[in-house]
Amino acid sequence: MLEISELRKRFAGGPGAPEGKLALDGIGFAVRPGEMFGFVGANGAGKTTTMRIVMGVLQADSGSVSWQGRPLTYEDRRRFGYMPEERGLYQKMRVAEQIEYFGRLHGLSGARAAEATSALIERLGLGERRDDAVEGLSLGNQQRVQLAVALVHDPEVLILDEPFSGLDPLAVDTLATALQERCRGGVPVIFSSHQLDLVERLCDSVGIVSSGRMVASGTVAGLRAAEGGTLRVVVRDPAPGWAEGLPGELNAEDGRQVLLVDAAGDDQEILRRAMKAGHVEHFGVEQPTLTEIFKEAVA
Amino acid sequence: MNALVLVARREISTRIRTKAFIVSLLVTVLLVGAAAFAPKVFDGPDEYTVGTVNAQRLPLEAAAPDITFSWKAFPDEAAAKKALLDGEADAVLVGDAKVLTDGKINQELGVLLQSTNREVKLGASGVRIEPLRIESVGADTRYQAARTGIAVVLVLVLFMLLIGQATMVAMGVVEEKGSRIVEILLSSIRPWQLLGGKIVGLGALGLVNLVAILAVGVGASVGSGLATDFPPGMPGIVAGVVVWFVLGYAFFATLAAMLASLVSRQEEVGNVLSPLTMLIMITYFVAFYVTSEPTGTLATVMSMIPPFSSMVMPVRMAAAEVPLWEVGLAFALMAGAVVAVLSLGAKVYERAVLRTGARVRLGDVLRAK
Repeated sequence: MLEISELRKRFAGGPGAPEGKLALDGIGFAVRPGEMFGFVGANGAGKTTTMRIVMGVLQADSGSVSWQGRPLTYEDRRRFGYMPEERGLYQKMRVAEQIEYFGRLHGLSGARAAEATSALIERLGLGERRDDAVEGLSLGNQQRVQLAVALVHDPEVLILDEPFSGLDPLAVDTLATALQERCRGGVPVIFSSHQLDLVERLCDSVGIVSSGRMVASGTVAGLRAAEGGTLRVVVRDPAPGWAEGLPGELNAEDGRQVLLVDAAGDDQEILRRAMKAGHVEHFGVEQPTLTEIFKEAVA
Repeated sequence: MNALVLVARREISTRIRTKAFIVSLLVTVLLVGAAAFAPKVFDGPDEYTVGTVNAQRLPLEAAAPDITFSWKAFPDEAAAKKALLDGEADAVLVGDAKVLTDGKINQELGVLLQSTNREVKLGASGVRIEPLRIESVGADTRYQAARTGIAVVLVLVLFMLLIGQATMVAMGVVEEKGSRIVEILLSSIRPWQLLGGKIVGLGALGLVNLVAILAVGVGASVGSGLATDFPPGMPGIVAGVVVWFVLGYAFFATLAAMLASLVSRQEEVGNVLSPLTMLIMITYFVAFYVTSEPTGTLATVMSMIPPFSSMVMPVRMAAAEVPLWEVGLAFALMAGAVVAVLSLGAKVYERAVLRTGARVRLGDVLRAK
């Protein structure tokens, strides 16, 4: 299990802001093996800073990161896969050569690096680009190479900062499938994204970060349950004043009345009143989307 | 395999196949080759074709053993005149009292003809003149011209290679920092491995350049006959150049990497390197001055002080004889300076290379914890 706890980081201020900027204010969460963790939050909320601290690229002022119950070490990190926010590839190097190089830096033998590279190139659909220089690739293909670099050494943990940004839906699918495969193999995956529908679709659990703190985290279902759904009742031609005394808000829509009310209340009573008042066309609880949960959480 | 070796190998393999590397290697090699043949072209011919018409050959070979003379016999003056006008002969002896030439005679050939003619005539009448004995009261200057020539070429080659390779190290550092490749790299290898690999790899390429230049230079000099003027101890001079290049490169390249790690954009490289560029330029100017004054006080002092010694000492060694202890002392001082710069550079690089964005101030880096 990868555990991040109580991370704090303040960036030094300039002459204009002597206080500096508090980037992380005690953020903490844990990711289990085989879990895909979606890291969401507004720009500047602290996602990248957290990931850079986990990768040892940045030092936290306080707090700790532990892996399998021990403080994370340099040797552990060598077995992690990392995709930084700003993509980093050697522009003049060829695709296969580059993936192989990073594999070897992570400690693979020449033969194993070559083998892993070929498999990834095949898997990520880069076969025709194998010997092209990276600078000649489209953004989508560069991103695939970047992912391959993060995956080549069969990492034990994957830390990916915005892996899906700027990709077309097909490329998103290719990358997502590749990540899910690793995840099913028992690798904890952390990725940040602003595409909340994607996070909702892929992730087992989600962490919502705001101003350097984790404001909500858990499984998507759990967050929904905590947020509670909205009961939507549609009644045709109801008797006037039927909803008097009921909580929620009532709207009229061409001959129908729509009642939106917190699902946690007494729904049976509402149903009885509605059936008495007119013809009930719709009665159901609507789950909040992750976007709604997110907006609620960071508000 | 060690990560440092992997990094070095990448530097070599990705650069050695670029056009820029191959073209610059070819151009320098051609220039050095041309330089080896240049004296032959500019010093005028050291071979003459001398014709005879009913005349005895004069003992020119005995008087000037360094010069090659080819002799041609002509049946009459008309044939000789034609050959002269066609440029097939430089001078033609007619009988024992006349020399034909086209326009003005080559001064050296003229003096030689006159003096050998006098000697032959006097010898025939029984007079013998002891030739003047020449005795030098100064240092042995037989090889001075060649030594100076070698030193000048060396200064240029060392300067170009040092500044070129140091700049390349700087650009490489910024490429990795600016694109954040360094974040991935440093999550799998140590900063000193990355820095060391880069310096070693680009240094190896510099050595390839240097060895190619030296080989072509020496080879072409042998080919052009220039090598006959070379002072004794050439292998020592050549080996010294390689050693001093390695030391100078390690010093300047480390500084270049250190300064480059402070900035994040290629456009800033020139600016941040300017103090280093200045230092290399000063070293170059001093070394160039020493080529003409290799035994002066400035030469002696500067060939001791690092990093000037990295260029001044090899030049001094080529241009004059240098006592062994001076070479040893200069070497020890320079090696010490390299070690100091390496430890400082590695520290700054490690602290600055992950701080992307605005230029990092050197003072801040040194003060931080």
